[in-house]
Order: sequence, then structure tokens, then C-alpha cells
Amino acid sequence: MAVTETRPAASSRRTAGSRPPAGRRRRFSGRTALVLLAFMMPAIVFVGLFTYYPLLNGIQMAFRNYNLNDLSDTSWVGLQNFRTLLGDEMFRGTVKNSVVWVVGSLVPQFLIGFTMALWLRRKFRFRGAYQALVFFPWAVSGFLIGILFRWMFNGEFGVVNDLLMKAHLIDTPVPWLADARYAMVAVISANVWYGVTFFAIMILAALQSVPDELYEASAIDGAGKVRTLFSITIPSIRTTLALTVLLRVIWTFNSPELIFGMTGGGPANETHIVTSYMIQVTQEGDYGRASAMGVMVVFVLLLFAIFYLLAVRTRTPRRKAVAR
Amino acid sequence: MRHRKMLAPLTAAFAAATLALTACGPGPAEKAQSGGEVKLQMVESLTNPTRTALLKKLIADFEKANSGIKVQLISPPTNQADQKIQQMLQSGKGVDVLEVRDTTVGPFSTNKWIYDMAPDLKDWDGLQALTPNALAVTQQGGKSYMVPYGFYGLSLFYRKDLVQQAGFTGPPKSWPELVEQAKKINDPAKNKYGYSFRGGLGGAGNAIAVISGYVIDDINKDNAFKLTNGKTIFSSPKAVDALNLYVDLFKNASPPSSVSWGYPEMVQGFTSGTTGFLLQDPEVIATVRESKTIKEDQWGTAPLPVGPTGKAAQPLANAGWGVAEGSEHKAEAVKLVKFLTSGDAAMTFSKENSLVPILKSAAEDPFFKDGPWASYVAMNASPETYVVVTQPRGVPWSTEWGNKSDADVQKLITGKAQPAEILKSWDEYWTKKWAGN
Repeated sequence: MAVTETRPAASSRRTAGSRPPAGRRRRFSGRTALVLLAFMMPAIVFVGLFTYYPLLNGIQMAFRNYNLNDLSDTSWVGLQNFRTLLGDEMFRGTVKNSVVWVVGSLVPQFLIGFTMALWLRRKFRFRGAYQALVFFPWAVSGFLIGILFRWMFNGEFGVVNDLLMKAHLIDTPVPWLADARYAMVAVISANVWYGVTFFAIMILAALQSVPDELYEASAIDGAGKVRTLFSITIPSIRTTLALTVLLRVIWTFNSPELIFGMTGGGPANETHIVTSYMIQVTQEGDYGRASAMGVMVVFVLLLFAIFYLLAVRTRTPRRKAVAR
Repeated sequence: MRHRKMLAPLTAAFAAATLALTACGPGPAEKAQSGGEVKLQMVESLTNPTRTALLKKLIADFEKANSGIKVQLISPPTNQADQKIQQMLQSGKGVDVLEVRDTTVGPFSTNKWIYDMAPDLKDWDGLQALTPNALAVTQQGGKSYMVPYGFYGLSLFYRKDLVQQAGFTGPPKSWPELVEQAKKINDPAKNKYGYSFRGGLGGAGNAIAVISGYVIDDINKDNAFKLTNGKTIFSSPKAVDALNLYVDLFKNASPPSSVSWGYPEMVQGFTSGTTGFLLQDPEVIATVRESKTIKEDQWGTAPLPVGPTGKAAQPLANAGWGVAEGSEHKAEAVKLVKFLTSGDAAMTFSKENSLVPILKSAAEDPFFKDGPWASYVAMNASPETYVVVTQPRGVPWSTEWGNKSDADVQKLITGKAQPAEILKSWDEYWTKKWAGN
């Protein structure tokens, strides 16, 4: 049985003349252009001053001997900071940890978040209140969550061990944050809890834009739940799914605050990821080395973004059948 | 068309990714305004709400006594404070008076960010009122980059009842005695442990306290990481004995999860009644007093445990007030520093923050003579047993050392490295640093 693909043709809803023809840019000149520029200026200045100026400053520091503890010599050192990092065993360890951290966090976050979104899409009593409760963690600071989870996972006073012991799942307290084997599991668990909400919010918003007619049509065609999920739901929100995963990979890679709050990178640096190590090096005053790490992170994430988007890029929909 | 479709998400991805770099840039400085009267900007580092309230009260007293000077206090969160101060100093504006710590005085003075107050303090009668330790810090190396407001010294908090139940008549006097008593008290099945071990942030400090006690007869008092023969304390064979004892204390008398315990957990361990001993600064006295689990008669403090030769090294950590080199109101700023480090203001600050005081007159004050403070008085009264030493905490690489040594202590107690290995790396680290590499 083939399900008829009936994507809504967005362009067909537009009236002719409401938009310039595709491929042509609208040009402004003279006074209008100046007025528009004036309106945009605050945003341009703000972003330039607070995002791109520090960014460019950071890039040039990566090639200098920029150590806050001794600023008497901040000369250019070429690729020295990068070479030091690549020869640093701890840095290599943090790269491995970053991959574990991103993949270990992202997969459960995505699956749980998706399931929650599907569930929250259905109408039930107090749905609004429940949605608000589900989305609450996203409003809390990551560092604060780190501190809370640090106490929850405390071997002696923590609620996690207490619950596991009461449920007779363990006999003796697990030193969660003291043992490298468990510490990564603990920080990833906290991050999963924290990040599920993001997926739930984004995917739910996308699901609400899928027209009910599609589901009705698929039901008439006799599609089951699984078939509907893979042939209607997922294709309809594919762009959102791709972008949320991309953004979440970047954010997770760049969010060391939870690790800092929970383990400080310990025990024995076993839970440091690249960006938490970068903060540590910044605290030590070596802005040159920290900036080199930042440049590498931007480069790697940019490469990832390009390949990822190429891999999941949306093809122009080819209609198998259009019912007019 | 496809390329344009990709442009927006790519730009967004690039912007999100670049946030990693923007964290490295210096922040904007705040600028003091002066309109008719002098307005001083003061920034503190070891911030907590109670202390900030007290500082504001003392500042109000200063403003009352010095009309024409207004002080604006900036209180960044503690864990970002020194970085914030560093950024303010780097910009050269926005700060007049600042909190300088023994860990920051080195980098701040090397970069000429803080002002040498020596000429301004030369004829100050407040110098005469300072204890020898406070005076030494004020005039370190012939310069006066800070006047300390107090000292943080270690003493042993202990549970009187648990020590008695374990069959001992009093608290331990030496490190081996501490290990012996802690092992007796240790009973994991009842969630009761001997010692509140510090394995997390700041953990190396306590390991070094044990090492110092073992090498005390050969230690260089002015640079307590050096022996009198010029080598590092970590090169001494006695240091290996000290770390072996320290590992024993962890493995057989401390909670397993204390590998990651920092200040809050170790204090909580003691105040919740889980552990029998705690090595901490006097500021913890107030916290222990607030405990609802252990009563006043159940705990006390004892002097820092001594090493095999019956002596201990007391590394007095300190912090104080200094003046920014970039300040346009240095005279008024120095006036504020003098006010805060003399007379009633200095005494009040010591008492309410549980600090070892900077004034000689404190020895006669009943507040410091009795109760938990008695051990500090006892240590001060026996300088030949509790030898005051200065650790090289003000060196520019102090944060780097802190991170490295804390991680090394975790490797040591989790069995990933042996004492001799750790000591060798510490010895090499300091030898290289002192050689200027």
C-alpha cells in the first residue's frame, strides 16, 4: 500500500505580486536605504561589538604568547599554541570525552524529547500546565543544575544513592562523582535531564504545524501508527529535526557549565571536555592557549555543520501525486 | 537556491560555534564617576552576602568619618571575582580599592596593576598595631601592595564524643595519631567515617600540609615549598612517607566519595555528623555552631597535627586590601585601606568573618581566648612547635599549580599514580618554574 504524499504547497497559498519573483533581490536606494540602515544600526553595532570584536580578538590571541600572568611579552608565536595543544595528552583526552559527552547526551535527549513531544501533541486534561512543567528545566541555569546534581549524586548524602538503596538496586553507596567510570555517566544523566526539554519544545512546535488533514488522509489510507510516524510525521518535520540536532550538538559541545558545577572536570580530569578544559586554561591566565582551543572548536564545529547540512539537506519536494 | 537555503542555518551554526571564542575576550570596564566629591570604586573577591553586608556597614562608617568621599562596593560572585577584578585592572579604569589575595598579589604586581603603598604607609601608626605576621605580609619584599585584613590558618575540628567512644582520651596530636583515631571511628556500614577528606577542589593544600609537617626541620620558612638546601620539599624522601600516610588516611578512614569533596562537602560531612575529623580554617567555626546535628559540647578544635619530629608548618593564607595603579584617587583609596585594617573596623571584620586577627590587641580579647578559638591562640603561643611558614601562593602560576596538584591528588588516592611519581612531577614542576621555564 502506498501512502499518497501530499505536502502542502506553501507557494500556492501566496497571491501573485505579494513577493518579488524568486531569484530577484529587492533593491533600496537613496533615502529609504539610509532609513533602513539607521534602523538596523543598533543591532549591527551591538553584534559587532559584543560578538565579532571579541571573536576576532580571540582569534589573534590564539597566535600570540598571551598570558595574563605576564603580559610583558605578548609577541606573535605562529602555531606554537596549537602545537602545544596537540602534544598535550590531557587535551587529547578531552577531545575523546567531548565526543562521549555529545553523543551520550544527544541520543537520549532526542529520543526522550521526541517521545514527549508526540505525547504532548495529544489533547488531554491540564495539557497546558503539564507542558509548562516539562519545559521548566530549560529556564534554569546550567551551572545551578550542575550544583544541584552534584549534591544529588553525592555518595554519602545524595538522593540518588538513597533511592537506589531503598529500591534495593544497590547494597552500598556508589561513589558517583569519585569514580571515573560513574562520573561521566552522572554528568551525562544530568545533561539528558536538562536537554530533553529543548527537543520537546522544538519538536512539539514543529508537530503543531503539521496539518491534521494529512493524518486523516493517512488514516483513510489505512496507515498504522508506525507507518504514519515514518511517512507523515518525520518527513513533515524533517527540517526542524535536522536543525535542532545540529544546534544541540553545537550547544552541548560548547556547554561546560554543567560539568564545571558537578565535577570540576574531575576525578583526575576524567570528565573534562574541550570547552571545560578551555575555561580551566583561561582561569590559569593562558589566553593564548585557550583561544587556540576556541579556534579549533569553531573550526571543527563549522566543518561538522557543513557536512551535516549537506547530508541532511532538504531536496526540492517531488510530488508523487497531487490531488487538486 | 539550495545554497541560499543552507546559508541561514550555516550562519546560525557559525554564530553559535563562535560563542566558544567570545568567552576569551576581555569585558568592558566600569568607570567611576566623580561629581564634586570623590567616588571610590571598591571590588571584593571572597564575596558572601553576610560579609558584603558587614563591608557596607564599615564603608558607611568610613564615609561618615570622611565627608567628601563616597564608596561604591562591587561584589561579583566569588568563583568569577578574581577574573572580573583582573579584567577591571587590565582595562586600567573602574576600580580604586580591591581585595588582593596571597594568590593574586603576584600576578597583579608583576603586571603593575596594583599600587605600592609603601610611601603612604611609612608614617602610619596602624603599622605598630599589626601582629608580626600581618606586618610581614604588609611589607613583603620591601613593597606594600596590600594590607591584610586577616589570616586563614588550619586547625583540626574533632568530635569529642566519637573520640571518647573510640577509646581515646583526647584529640590526636600528630598525623599518625590522627590516622589511628580516624580508623577506629570509621564504620562505613553505619555511614560513619573517620576523616572529612578533601579530594576535590583545593585538595592538594591538605596533602601539602602533611608533607610540610614531615619536612619541617629542613623547610625554608620564607618559601615553604623549598628546603634549606634549595631543593623542593617534594624531593625529600620524608615527603614519600607523608603521602603514604595520606593515602592510608583516605583508603581506611574516609568516605569513598570524598575523592570529589571540596569545601562544602567536607564541612557538610562534619556538620552532618558523618565524619569525626575535619581540617579547616577558623571560618568554619560559625558554620559548625549552626549545625542542628552536632551540639556545642560534642565538638572542639585542636591544633594542627604535627609531624614525626613534633612540629607542624602553619601556612597562613591571607587576603587584604590594595589600591589599583590606575586609580585617579590614590590618596583617598589608601585612606580607606588604612581605615579597614586598623582599630574597631579591623577587629569587627576579623570577628564576624572568623579570621585569625591582624591586630596585636586581639590576644587579650575574650572572643579569641576561649572556645574553639583557643587552639589558634595555643598555636600562636608556641611558634617553635607550630612554625609559621609562607607558601609561594602569590606566584603567577598559582592557578595552574592548583589545577595540576588537585588533579594529581585525585590520581594518587584513586590508585592511578604512586606517591613517588606524583612527588617527582611536583619536584620537576617547581624546579622548572623557579628556573624561569
